[in-house]
Amino acid sequence: MSDGRNIDSRLGTLSGEGSQQRGATEVVPWKALDTSGYGVPGDRTYYDRPVIKKSVWSWDIPAYYYVGGATGSAMALGAAATLINRDRLSRLVLQSRVVGLAGSMVSAYFLVHDLGRPERFLNMMRVFRPTSPMSVGAWILFFFSGSAGVAAISQLGPRWIRRIGDASAVISGVFGLGLSGYTGVLVSNTTVPVWQRPHRLMPALFLSSGVSGAASVFDLLGGNPREQRAVLLFGTAGKLAELSFAYLMERSVATVPEAARPLEDGLSGFLWKASKVLTAASLLIALVPNSSARVRRISGVLGSLGSLCTRFGVHYAGQRSAMNPRATFQQQRGGQGAYAVTGRAAVTGPGDARAVLE
Amino acid sequence: MPKGFFTDTSICIGCKACEVACKQWNQLPEDGFFFSGMSYDNTMQLDASTWRHVSFIERPVALSGQDAGAFSWLMSSDVCKHCQRAGCLENCPTGAIIRTEFDTVYVQPDICNGCGYCVVGCPFGVINRREEDGRAWKCTLCYDRLTDGMTPACAKACPTASIQFGELEDLHRDAHARVERLQAAGVKEAYLYGVDKDNQPGTEGLNAFFLLLDQPEVYNLPPDPVVPTKKAAESWRAMFYTALGAAAVAMAAVIATRGERAR
Ligand code: SF4
Repeated sequence: MSDGRNIDSRLGTLSGEGSQQRGATEVVPWKALDTSGYGVPGDRTYYDRPVIKKSVWSWDIPAYYYVGGATGSAMALGAAATLINRDRLSRLVLQSRVVGLAGSMVSAYFLVHDLGRPERFLNMMRVFRPTSPMSVGAWILFFFSGSAGVAAISQLGPRWIRRIGDASAVISGVFGLGLSGYTGVLVSNTTVPVWQRPHRLMPALFLSSGVSGAASVFDLLGGNPREQRAVLLFGTAGKLAELSFAYLMERSVATVPEAARPLEDGLSGFLWKASKVLTAASLLIALVPNSSARVRRISGVLGSLGSLCTRFGVHYAGQRSAMNPRATFQQQRGGQGAYAVTGRAAVTGPGDARAVLE
Repeated sequence: MPKGFFTDTSICIGCKACEVACKQWNQLPEDGFFFSGMSYDNTMQLDASTWRHVSFIERPVALSGQDAGAFSWLMSSDVCKHCQRAGCLENCPTGAIIRTEFDTVYVQPDICNGCGYCVVGCPFGVINRREEDGRAWKCTLCYDRLTDGMTPACAKACPTASIQFGELEDLHRDAHARVERLQAAGVKEAYLYGVDKDNQPGTEGLNAFFLLLDQPEVYNLPPDPVVPTKKAAESWRAMFYTALGAAAVAMAAVIATRGERAR
């Protein structure tokens, strides 16, 4: 190939692996050399630079945790009502299906919007990868939205279609619990210190926060006295569980104080504390006997805010925790790395010296 | 045949030829020009468009066998570890991240939809999503060069053979021999980081492993990394039991409405 010069112009074509990336001009702020604490294992860092990357997720993702959680649990209560006391709880059943349909659409919006390449969102459906909670979750959301959609739309049809809708609602309720809880598995299946440590408590916290969020949505929508009673029981259990799991999670993270800091101060600490105050307030207000519709709505608002703050608090705590190399180092030196899982720590020095003394 | 890197930091001279060769071969864009104030390290980290990173550690202590006063300089060329149990790969929901025929971990840019889950799955902070591009990128271990039977660009450019490329088996043998030689020569600090499953149970070994002269933290490497997926079964179990509880509560809440009193 020649354009008159003695040069092969094909040599100028950018075709390397990374050539599709464009240049950046963002300047990363520099940090002064930190010479403090030299020689103490677990307190030595590389110029205080983060050792892991923080997530690239924007607020879409914690918002999705909330919406998906509340929607899924709402559908679960709706499914129970469909199964057991369909006729007397008809308003709650209808509400749950509308919430299920709307919530799954909002959830899908948040998830697609946060992708780096939103037009490729369908690639999530090209494989099922059980090792990836995100893959499992994508399929849960897929089946949940499908069945919730059928459950909602069938309400407009004749009797036999409504029957199909009822069956679909029950299926959707089962997937709903998955939708409510898998996000807890998703965040703890990472290397972020404050997320990875409470890996057994996080799914429980997220699921109970979903239950509390769902009850709050029903409180806002209102219903007859029977429905209110069901919602009150459901919500009370959810809020109590949310508060207990939040307490346990905080305690488990606090075994390494450096890792617990994001739950104590700053924006993430504020959100985390606010979530507990709001949830507790909502719980107490809901328990006022013979309360008016207005009081129940206030409880619903507080409960929703509490559930939102739980997810945003966990999200932002993780972002800060990832930027702190000491949190990772001290957790792993304290036996909360591979040692906790495999019973054997990695080699970190000559003579088979291990990261954790055995 | 499994291929990998053995990075022998004891002979790294900090010339950054690997960084340059990597950028050139893979045609990676610059990531901003600035002065970090961190010794000679103005690259600072591995990132979406930085697949080799040379770290410079100035220590106020001597290496054993040195008598140049209370100072020593460590340099190390960091790279994606191509873990046996790779957090990025196991977290990828699209199947974009695959294990190649060379036993390396590769991100297919035409599949990746930029969900960002690999970023928090990597115990070493290697892979990242490029903002303007929207996809995740990392070292490919020069997949394109390997398919043509060539040596990866960084290893080819390294003037001191600090970066060695080859069959994993050969690298293991050479690395153990090298540690023995260094120990015999009085460099008591030398050890291997991540060479195999026994050495690093959390990742079950790294295809790109290192010879280090100080604790991993000093090089910004985690002391006891673990692939998050190893704990996932317990998380799923916890979720399952909570879901059973929630289902029971939902049923109980509805059953409680059946009596006449609620009217
Ligand atoms: S070092 Fe990180 S990016 Fe590289 S294979 Fe391991 S988990 Fe993936």
